[in-house]
Amino acid sequence: MPSKQDKTPSKSGCMSRRAFLFRSSAVVGGTVVLTHIPGMEGEALAAEIARYPRMLIGKLSQLKVDKPVAFNYPDKGANSQSLLVKLSAEAGGGISPKHNVVAFNSLCTHMGGLMGATYKPADQVLGPCPLHQSTFDLTRHGMVVSGHATESLPQVLLELDGDKIYAVGMLGLIYGRHDNLKS
Amino acid sequence: MADSNSTPFYHPEDKVPLPPKNAEVLTTCCDYCSIACGLKVYRWPVNSPDGGPKKSQNALNRNYPLRPGQGGWVGPNQYTQATHKGRLHNIAIVADHKSRVVNVGGGHSIRGGCIAQKVYNPQKPTQDRLQHPMIRINDILMPVTWDFALDIAAEVSKHVIKKHGESAWALKYYSYQFFENTYALTKLALKSINTPAVSQHDHPAMVNSVPGWVDIGYDIFSASHEDFSLADCLVISGTDPFETKTTLWNHWILKGIHGNNTKVIMINPRRTAGVAYAAKHGGLHLDVNPGSDTVVHMALQRIIMENGWEDKEFIKKWVANGWETDSGFGQGTRNTPWQWRTTWGKFQVKGYEGSPKHFKEWIYAQEESKPEVAAKIAGIDVKKLYQAAEMMAKPKANGERVKTSICIEKGNYWSNNYLNTASIGTLGAILGCGGRPGQVITRLGGHQRGGMSGGKYPGWKSPYKVPGRRRHRLDLDRWLESGHVRFAYVVGTTWIQAMAGSSALQDTFKRLVKLNPNQVRSFDKQTIIDTLKKRVDSGGTVVVNQEIYLRDPIGNQYADIVLPAATWGEEDFARANSERRVRLYSKFYDAPGEALPDWKIAAMFAKKMGFHGYDWKDSNEVFEETCRFSRGSRKDFNAIRVMARRKGMKAHDYLRSFGTTGLQAPLLIFGDKLIETKRLHDYNRKDIPDTGPQGVTITNKRLLAFKTQTGKLNLVKSPWKLWSDFYDFMQPKDDELWISNGRINEIWESGFDDYERRPYTQQRWPMNFIELHPDDAKKRGIESGDLVAIESKRVPVQTDFNLGVKGGDMWFSGLMKKGHIKLATGSLSAVAIVTPAVKKGVAFAECLHTSQPVNNIAPRVPDPITQNYRFKIATGTVRKIGESHFKHTFAQMTFKRRDIV
Ligand code: SF4
Ligand code: FES
Repeated sequence: MPSKQDKTPSKSGCMSRRAFLFRSSAVVGGTVVLTHIPGMEGEALAAEIARYPRMLIGKLSQLKVDKPVAFNYPDKGANSQSLLVKLSAEAGGGISPKHNVVAFNSLCTHMGGLMGATYKPADQVLGPCPLHQSTFDLTRHGMVVSGHATESLPQVLLELDGDKIYAVGMLGLIYGRHDNLKS
Repeated sequence: MADSNSTPFYHPEDKVPLPPKNAEVLTTCCDYCSIACGLKVYRWPVNSPDGGPKKSQNALNRNYPLRPGQGGWVGPNQYTQATHKGRLHNIAIVADHKSRVVNVGGGHSIRGGCIAQKVYNPQKPTQDRLQHPMIRINDILMPVTWDFALDIAAEVSKHVIKKHGESAWALKYYSYQFFENTYALTKLALKSINTPAVSQHDHPAMVNSVPGWVDIGYDIFSASHEDFSLADCLVISGTDPFETKTTLWNHWILKGIHGNNTKVIMINPRRTAGVAYAAKHGGLHLDVNPGSDTVVHMALQRIIMENGWEDKEFIKKWVANGWETDSGFGQGTRNTPWQWRTTWGKFQVKGYEGSPKHFKEWIYAQEESKPEVAAKIAGIDVKKLYQAAEMMAKPKANGERVKTSICIEKGNYWSNNYLNTASIGTLGAILGCGGRPGQVITRLGGHQRGGMSGGKYPGWKSPYKVPGRRRHRLDLDRWLESGHVRFAYVVGTTWIQAMAGSSALQDTFKRLVKLNPNQVRSFDKQTIIDTLKKRVDSGGTVVVNQEIYLRDPIGNQYADIVLPAATWGEEDFARANSERRVRLYSKFYDAPGEALPDWKIAAMFAKKMGFHGYDWKDSNEVFEETCRFSRGSRKDFNAIRVMARRKGMKAHDYLRSFGTTGLQAPLLIFGDKLIETKRLHDYNRKDIPDTGPQGVTITNKRLLAFKTQTGKLNLVKSPWKLWSDFYDFMQPKDDELWISNGRINEIWESGFDDYERRPYTQQRWPMNFIELHPDDAKKRGIESGDLVAIESKRVPVQTDFNLGVKGGDMWFSGLMKKGHIKLATGSLSAVAIVTPAVKKGVAFAECLHTSQPVNNIAPRVPDPITQNYRFKIATGTVRKIGESHFKHTFAQMTFKRRDIV
């Protein structure tokens, strides 16, 4: 069940204009326009997103369940390799009516192992990392399932505009960078 | 924006400042597991420029972005701020990417990788560090001065010792938190006070964890990390180093699997990532029932010997014959653990083979060594025993011996302590393990090796008498329960949840401390002292807890006096790791408030009690004093002091000059040459002159031979019947399951750093959990994410200080018959994780969760042979209470399987 705060409509003109359609992470089953964030008002949120480029990365109608699509974000520079995946299950931060479309940077946040080819459909997990076997749960914001990474996989924030999927921001630091926006 | 989309309380950063070129760089090591990865601390003042992404612009000397696999990344959890000499600084703590030992190239685990978040920072969850001494007045802990608190502690201590004897004054402390501290604490307890009422954080008494090897003659930390990449076959029992000794796995064991084709055999009821990975790469998983290892070892021995695959040459040269065994067991005077265990014929054999009194014939005569019988007891496919024996011992096609190494941890020795360690030790002996590259036998270790004893344990003062002329060291938990501890000095351990049968132990503390009518209700020092004296004279206990956080319940509920300690990073300290590598752990920031290092508090306390020999000015002086007491030991580091003197340096500074590499002990000096030791029992070693000991250098026998009188290994028996009465009692009855427990990768055992104060880790593990096999879960209507209650109404707790007179008195059945076992209750809640990775009939929870402690249901009947607890083999019922918050939310916890490889 969605919680109260998830239902709070956005007061931010900026938000509605950009028509965010990613669901709040906090609760399964809450499909909502991005809304109240504890400790962060709409404008602050907008400002944070404003740091990142808005980039068209795919079309919802063309995504197939469990077939990840590679893209680069927030730039084409080193370590920007990311995956857009339509999962067979709902996910925190997932877009689409089923809340099952998510995107993550695909470098392991332990020591940068390349995990672009390691998606495990049965478990909606990325990994094991080829270097030291860390695994990450794509339904739960890239949280480490088992392993050594010192942060979750950076989640790419998505926005759905009609059928178009845009990458609009990122949670967490890309491995090997000191600032996501400096490559 | 990131925050809401991740979790309600954790905001992952998307940028981190880099240390500038002129940042100060200090070396230290990780504070957690026994591997002790080398770390570099970068420090630069807040409000001074940060570094840039070019190599020429940052102190890491790296071009950003880094390439995959390149060490030296500063992630969000590697950065914090702290004051240094009163000024706020940026701090980045990064695994040393220049390291050529231990964590070569800058490896680290999730635990040590986040260690910057351990640093006291008033803006972060570490802000509740203890800062001032406190005294409980009207049941509220109130700040007082050091003098006020210690005057009271000292006066009450003196009274207790005078009136109730030194055995009424107890020290419960960590065995590992740096040489300087353990030395000072034990100097006070063992040398100055000379009490037998001392025990460490993980044992009820001052005992060895691997007593079987003590009797056989194996040192418990003989290997070097490199050995793990050199073995053909690596047998790992009772742990998964992927989870618990991460860099050993990530660097050294993976190097073996991929570079040397090492086959790894894991003996463990659970399939964790390392187990699954090993199995996938030609290894084998022996998914034994908890507590059944001994029969597995015996069956392997039988198969190996029946096929003639034992290392005959090694046995001939290094295994003692009958006469040698007799002399080899004479390891001390009458009252030593060796003597009690090995006399009376229970364990001793006449040598390898030749008569029914020899080892081989004894194994053949045991019903439990028959593979089918052993497989049934262990609950495994018998084929796996044959397969494992082949992998360990069957000669290669070219006739060469397989190089096999064995390593063990707590799943092995905290279930059936003596028999498991004895039988895996003798398995090692017949396989030729010990002293050769890739052919070693060792513990992997838990905490690091920071113990130094400042005095000799007064064994003769222990009142714990067992049949024959034998005496065990004092079981402090039972001593407390029996009302003999009047003053408890508890340093750096959660005495209660860390011990077995902890609910019953908590009742004891409540009775002796809280329910005693003599409670402090005044700020007048003399009145406080008089009240506490009345408490102890009326049979109660006064508790002093020295800690970095207020821990519940020992500090929060029971301590009369709380003393704030300074820790890792707040003082210069020295310590060894699991390959005996000694390093300097630099102080790099100011301790919070008035907190002081434990050595210093112990010294102030001792002086107030009127003892001499505590006038150290700094931790270096303590270290220099400890050096000579390390002589001849596994971590003999006396050479550091000697070399430093020759160079006119402080010993700490000399050690510091070796950075994260440190020095691998035992250290020897020949002429002006310092010689390190890669592995013990290294009988092929050539760098020790045969002129014998020189000056300050001791060439202990264990350097070139084994640790017995003769230098040869003593084989010992492992009679199953010495365990089976207790094991039968512990077997799950009705709808009970085995409730085993242990560590998991993401959480170090000092939960106060991880799941209590690290949002990133709290996100992953917000509560204790219990892994259940799908069949067991289904039967109970449990799904992943359900909140369950785990309970036992029959937690056996050994009581009383009865004297053992007849042979069987002190075995479990004897104690039961005479009424010295009480059945206590224990319960905890946990979040269910349903996974085929755990064996059917076995459930598994995290071992040291302080608010949902699984030790509540762990049996408190120490191994009667060795006084080790059997933490890992609890039993209990599991029933659903409802759904946890995490079942239907995405922000915290995940229920995905952890064995995906
Ligand atoms: S492997 Fe052990 S020593 Fe190394 S970083 Fe992790 S916890 Fe620390
Ligand atoms: S780089 Fe991925 S687990 Fe180490």
